[in-house]
Amino acid sequence: MAVTLAIPSKGRLKEAALERLAKAGLEIVQPGDDRRYRAVVKGRDDIEIALLSAGEIAREVGLGKVDLGITGEDLLSESFGDADGRFEIAARLGFGRADVVVAVPECWLDVDTMGDLDDVAAEFRQRHGRRLRIATKYWRLTQKFFSAQHGIQVYRIVESLGATEGAPAAGSADVIVDITTTGSTLKANHLKVLSDGVILRSEACLAVARKDRPEVEEAVIAGLVGRLNGH
Amino acid sequence: MTARYPEFAEDILAHFAARGTELVDVPVIQPADPFLDMAGEDLRRRIFLTESETGETLCLRPEFTIPVCRDHIANRAGTPRRYAYLGEVFRQRREGGAEFFQAGIEDLGSPDMAEADARSIADAHALIDGLLPGAAISVTLGDQRVFEAVLAALGLPRGWQKRLARAFGSPELLKSALADLADPPRKAPLPEDVSELVAAGDHAALSAHVAERMGEAGISAHAGREPDEIAARLIEKTQLSSVRLAPDALSALEAFLSIRAPLRKAGDALRGFAGDAGISLGAALEAFGRRARALSENGLPDDVMTYDAGFGRPLDYYTGLVFEISVTGEDRPLAGGGRYDRLLTLLGAETSIPGVGFSVWLDRVASLRGGV
Repeated sequence: MAVTLAIPSKGRLKEAALERLAKAGLEIVQPGDDRRYRAVVKGRDDIEIALLSAGEIAREVGLGKVDLGITGEDLLSESFGDADGRFEIAARLGFGRADVVVAVPECWLDVDTMGDLDDVAAEFRQRHGRRLRIATKYWRLTQKFFSAQHGIQVYRIVESLGATEGAPAAGSADVIVDITTTGSTLKANHLKVLSDGVILRSEACLAVARKDRPEVEEAVIAGLVGRLNGH
Repeated sequence: MTARYPEFAEDILAHFAARGTELVDVPVIQPADPFLDMAGEDLRRRIFLTESETGETLCLRPEFTIPVCRDHIANRAGTPRRYAYLGEVFRQRREGGAEFFQAGIEDLGSPDMAEADARSIADAHALIDGLLPGAAISVTLGDQRVFEAVLAALGLPRGWQKRLARAFGSPELLKSALADLADPPRKAPLPEDVSELVAAGDHAALSAHVAERMGEAGISAHAGREPDEIAARLIEKTQLSSVRLAPDALSALEAFLSIRAPLRKAGDALRGFAGDAGISLGAALEAFGRRARALSENGLPDDVMTYDAGFGRPLDYYTGLVFEISVTGEDRPLAGGGRYDRLLTLLGAETSIPGVGFSVWLDRVASLRGGV
């Protein structure tokens, strides 16, 4: 039996993952046909490669359908309420770095911290007849950060599937939680990150599904984890 | 496991009837927005959400208070009214089933609040006493209003009072809020042109400046926070930035939060605290005393009730009394209740309608009865 490693099927994340695996001595041989979603590792018949979208990888590892997955930590953390029980982050891979942040309009000159946002959220309903709205595709991370970590209860999440940074100008939300690498998109949209508003410093990670496996497979996984950690 | 109608349901209904309440039923499938709006997003992961064909977000009833209040508003019913309910609620829980029964009474619009508070506790107490004869019952009471009175009497700035009042009931949040006020985190410097306007306290010019920046960002000045509001808060915040929570106010708050006394001695404890801190708690203390008297007139045994000054619920619609009923042998409370004078307005009532109510976890009662 082979263990399955899922890697991103396209884009920069895919290239970086392949490069990182090659550096660890694992050369991925891709099918000639781009539309096939399976690949093999040269000289290793005990590892199978599945090419999936970054979001799918988090789900598949969480459900235990693949043994290992390389994808963004943001997607891994967001995928399940009980993510820790479902998989272990066994290696941090140093690419695909980006932060999940809380950003507010720059013109909110009085808001620099989550404490400020707490004040604003509490007053919001009374003044405007609705709760403060936060646009995000990360509702779990947002809810954990706002409710559990900062005790902010009264706000509403508006699920946003794309161009979240445009939500305040479009009037669909007041505040956003989004992923950013350089902050330039936020700046272009006249948004600023709160000084204590970094929810997660994300990078690509190797996640290992928690499940019972034969010893041989455990050994293969341990070897892979070791190589990716530079041992 | 599917929840079964509790075999003692008839006893509860008889109890409700004897107490002169009106039994109501509300649909199991409810619009989700009122729950998320009132109880906050934290509820999202604990309820069962679905969507209708027309895109409306629906959920399985996670509790009764909000739907009972919404029904009351929709029916334009007169007050006072005491609604009773018994039915299933649905929540995602790590342990225990997702379907279980709750029963309770919501008292809407009773003008005598001390009496209504006392009756709510007495109803809950009698119900549990009847279902678990001989059990050692204890009632813990807290009071948001007394805490707010302490904050006001200490002369804290309004913004601080609100922040601390919001954290009431959560020791960790309260602790971090107090730490922030005693030693405020350093603020990011303002752009020079802004800081001049702020220093001059020029509200109109600052507001115009904010409006201009909003325009540049393409953000509507009316869809959400308004320039005026941002300018006012910035000036207020800057004025407060050099102020620290005084050590004697901090120690007074700590002393207050540590008060835990049998209810019959709680009035004296509060008066003693106020005397030591050199403040007067005025109307809040009087109301507290009236409620304590009403409780003994309602026949509640003195020795089962404890006042815990730090006990509260960090939700913005609770305004006064909160209480919990427990019995020896079960860590979790069997009943919880409180006063929610702001809830009906938030749900859209045209006039302000005070409310107080409680809910009993019948699954916990059932497991204790099984164990008897």
